[in-house]
Amino acid sequence: MAHVTIELPTLLHRFADDQSTVAVEADSLRGALGQLTAKHPAMQVHLFDESGSLREHVLCFHNDTNTRWMDTPDVPVGDGDRLTIMQAVSGG
Amino acid sequence: MTVQLLIGTDKGGFIATSNGSRTNWTIDGPLFKGWKVTATTRDPQGRVLLGTSSSVYGPAVQISDDLKNWKQVEEGPKWPEGVGRKLNQIWTINAGHDRYYLGVDEAGLFSSDDRGETWQPVDALNEHATRSGWQPGAGGLCLHAIKIDPKNPDRIWIGISAVGVFRSDDGAKTWTPKNNGVPIVLEDKQHKDIGCCVHGLAMDPDDADLIYRREHVGMFRTSDGGENWQRNEQGLSSWFGFPISMDRNTKNLFCVPLESDEYRLPSNGKLEVFRSMDNGDTWQSVSNGLPSEHSYAGVLRGAMDVDHGSPCGVYFGNTSGEMYTSADAGEHWTKLPITLPRIMSVDVISAD
Repeated sequence: MAHVTIELPTLLHRFADDQSTVAVEADSLRGALGQLTAKHPAMQVHLFDESGSLREHVLCFHNDTNTRWMDTPDVPVGDGDRLTIMQAVSGG
Repeated sequence: MTVQLLIGTDKGGFIATSNGSRTNWTIDGPLFKGWKVTATTRDPQGRVLLGTSSSVYGPAVQISDDLKNWKQVEEGPKWPEGVGRKLNQIWTINAGHDRYYLGVDEAGLFSSDDRGETWQPVDALNEHATRSGWQPGAGGLCLHAIKIDPKNPDRIWIGISAVGVFRSDDGAKTWTPKNNGVPIVLEDKQHKDIGCCVHGLAMDPDDADLIYRREHVGMFRTSDGGENWQRNEQGLSSWFGFPISMDRNTKNLFCVPLESDEYRLPSNGKLEVFRSMDNGDTWQSVSNGLPSEHSYAGVLRGAMDVDHGSPCGVYFGNTSGEMYTSADAGEHWTKLPITLPRIMSVDVISAD
């Protein structure tokens, strides 16, 4: 299991005990996000839509790679990896 | 008389509190800063329930027993897998009886038997035989009104924009459209008893068969529980508008007309509240203190409430974040000295 840090956008801090980051242990991207929602169940509805996919305007970066372009969330993660969740800039 | 208002806006919830006079107010908030607060209510035991949402992170139900510590409901309203619907917003919450109900966009009704901790879909309405004919209006496909007979909670009326009113007489097990007498604005090829655009409902708490209906095309009333509706808009400055509220003691009605469905603004920039003191037969403007010109913000369907004091307090907010209060049943109005985000809901959560 790798130690992974998940960085959260400000609006979601309140659903993670007012923390900006959550440390999880996982061996894949899917597993890391699963750990996040297991620790903080209120996060589930805010990150994922009815089909179980990331919400349309939620971005998740694995280190510097946008996970939206990955074919599968079953991507290995390594010790010290960072997942950054943010809202897409979709208008202004 | 101490009154607390919970004001839901595009960027959070605000609490306005007045001790005694109902003319001096303190403002606290925002609750859920950055989140839309789209629906609010307080149950008889004092629990406050909020509908929150975000265009990015979606909707949820939040509950608090002290207005300080909040908990997001984990088993909130959720469409069953495979129905292909999205939960876009929580529009209204009714927590006045043992079974709570809430209405959502895409149009649906959910119920809770544990004070809002878990919610289940009301299939008899959500999968109604007319569902294929439900079409969204300008505000979306939203179930925004829920009224329950205080003497018989098995009798329930709900309103869906651009669809109409449905009634259940058996505790939400079966539902029947109740739109006879109301013009259809979105005609369905198959289902001829829907396609009315209800904007708001007000029920006489002593006679649940007497219901007032703010409709897209006018103001209506039924005295037989929705079997038949008649127009009652004499004196109103416009047939269009959204909120309607009733003082349960005097049975006075309050509404805010807007200029037509095309404009949706106060007519000629004049912000007016109308009151009826005769069961909606006639309406008079009660607007002393409201802007007589240059007011161009709308008032949304959930953004008005009354406190049932003597005389009753009346409260409403507009889409420019202005909040107006009256401590004397609409005779005089004062603007709160605050500019809020777009106001979506106003609820009296405490009046002692």
